[in-house]
Amino acid sequence: MAGLLLVAALASCGGASREWERAEALWRDNDPAAWAAWRALGDAGEEGRRARARLAEADARYRRGIALLAAGQAGAREELAAGRARGPIDPALYLPLARACRDRELPRRAAALYRKYLAQASGAAPDDVAAARAELAALDEPEDPILDEVVGVAPARRLPSTALTVGALAAAAIALAGAIVLLVGAVRRRRGRTLAALAASEPSLQPAIALLVGCLRHELLKHRVLAVTDAVRALSSGTARPGEREFLVARLYGGDPLPLAWVGHLGAFIRALGPRFDLERSDPGFRSAGRAVAEIGALRAALVAGERSAAERLRRAHERLVAFDRALAELTRRLTHAPIDRPLVDEVVAAIDAERRGAGAPEVAITVGALPEGVRVEMYRVDLALVLRNVVRNAVVAAARGPAPRRVAIDGQVTLEPTGEEVVRLRVRDTSPEPIALEAAARASGRGLHLVTSALARVDGGLELAPGGDGYAKALVVRLFRALDDDSEDAAAPPLEATA
Amino acid sequence: MSARLLVIEDGSEYAEFARVFLGEELVVEEAHSAAEAAARLAAGDVALLLIDLRFERAPAEALVGDLAATAARLFDGDEARALRYLQDQQGTLILEALRRAGHRQPALFVHDFPPRRLANLRALYGDVSAVPSFDAAAIRAALRAALARAAAQGAPPR
Repeated sequence: MAGLLLVAALASCGGASREWERAEALWRDNDPAAWAAWRALGDAGEEGRRARARLAEADARYRRGIALLAAGQAGAREELAAGRARGPIDPALYLPLARACRDRELPRRAAALYRKYLAQASGAAPDDVAAARAELAALDEPEDPILDEVVGVAPARRLPSTALTVGALAAAAIALAGAIVLLVGAVRRRRGRTLAALAASEPSLQPAIALLVGCLRHELLKHRVLAVTDAVRALSSGTARPGEREFLVARLYGGDPLPLAWVGHLGAFIRALGPRFDLERSDPGFRSAGRAVAEIGALRAALVAGERSAAERLRRAHERLVAFDRALAELTRRLTHAPIDRPLVDEVVAAIDAERRGAGAPEVAITVGALPEGVRVEMYRVDLALVLRNVVRNAVVAAARGPAPRRVAIDGQVTLEPTGEEVVRLRVRDTSPEPIALEAAARASGRGLHLVTSALARVDGGLELAPGGDGYAKALVVRLFRALDDDSEDAAAPPLEATA
Repeated sequence: MSARLLVIEDGSEYAEFARVFLGEELVVEEAHSAAEAAARLAAGDVALLLIDLRFERAPAEALVGDLAATAARLFDGDEARALRYLQDQQGTLILEALRRAGHRQPALFVHDFPPRRLANLRALYGDVSAVPSFDAAAIRAALRAALARAAAQGAPPR
């Protein structure tokens, strides 16, 4: 009876359509036709509606990423990576993206994007096509591998010259050999790293990694695998009710097949982190999870046949994925937590004061007031130190230029948000009457405040201007979300009063 | 008579889960926004709330929270980041709106909140609990405990 119910449920589930599989495959292959294939699914069926929703989300991210790139602002790569993780890009966006790359002095990337646009531009306005051709012709091609991978741009192809001399051929062979040695080294270095090691060694990838892990955990693990925990348990003990069986079948075998969904998520990692970064090869946790997903995918027929051993194998594979989810939660938790404490502030103050003395600038009294204790923020310590160094340095330099008494004061506080989160504000006050043009400084590439705002934006932090008070002319406040999911003693301290 | 559980989410996954695994002892109802939830709660009879945290599929205009004010206060005026934040934390903001409207029913989230954040939510909104994943046994136990607490306090749901 149970087997019959399972057969009926499986038959009603069906699985992904060929059109959807083809559309997904085009996307995974980075084919410019992917967007049209997704659109062609229509919105009559569930797959089409899902594709439309993801296209809309992806489109918003792509447009935002292009706008940020064009403006030279932080977060462009993250937005583009988020778009790539959701769905294919509208080919019409190749043109503004090409222009943004050109304006950011990324001519090779821009050229490849212009070519992609022109290859897909049959329905585009003639003026746009003509402009794209002219702009491509004006480019001086020859920069950023991550952007390549994010936007799926292949390096520009050049036709081999028939006029190469023997000397040039020899030089090319030597250069090629060198390039191969470098490439092999790079591949080995990348393949040898786990996701945690990659995140630790390349902080700029951390937001993309956190987003990708979050998507994997939320969409695949939480709603499909962890959701069937009780049904798996009941099936394994032979006590599953028909409703539980149907629920299990729908979650594990309905919609996108689980192995295909898994491959889709791995593809998102590869697109964001690079084609050479194959998690199933480099990370034992992903390797084990991939095997568990494949095992579950392969159990469909045996479960339909009502084999008891299949239920037991399902339970074991499911357990591995539950453990994998816990490991991912731990990874994201530990990625970036840094203490924002007295030793760090003292270290920064000592370094900046030494700089001032070295430059022969007038004395500036720096005082450190009350700081929250035992508080961590979601940021690498090296990034946090960079932020504090720049903010304190600016205050000291400005105060040194201003009238006596020249003073800088640093303190901090934590406030509670309606979401239950806590926000840490580190305030740096100075006596300089010079105003801070925060927005202009933050946009000026290469300036200290540009680095600060970029680093803060990556972790949803920011800078605020505030009145100085107590004889200080003004305050610049560093704002960061507190990392609440750590093991520090203070995490167990009484909750804050509502202050938001 | 079974107690009524109001599921508040932007999709249907929670309600689907609740009907399969909790339907024998609870009557499951759905709301898809703070406004829908408030309207249903105003009609009375609901004993428990099961709230999704992330509302990434909800239209921006249906979200609780002032986008421009949130952008100005927390994200240096960046409305895209503020929108993502409001979506990601929407469940807690809906709970805030419901508490402000006087609805005190115990609330349960399926989310692995760190202990301190859960303590903060309790300090803000009273009876709030969380289970880390869709474990029906754990959810059932949490909801039973919440019902017992409400009964012990003698506070009939509004």
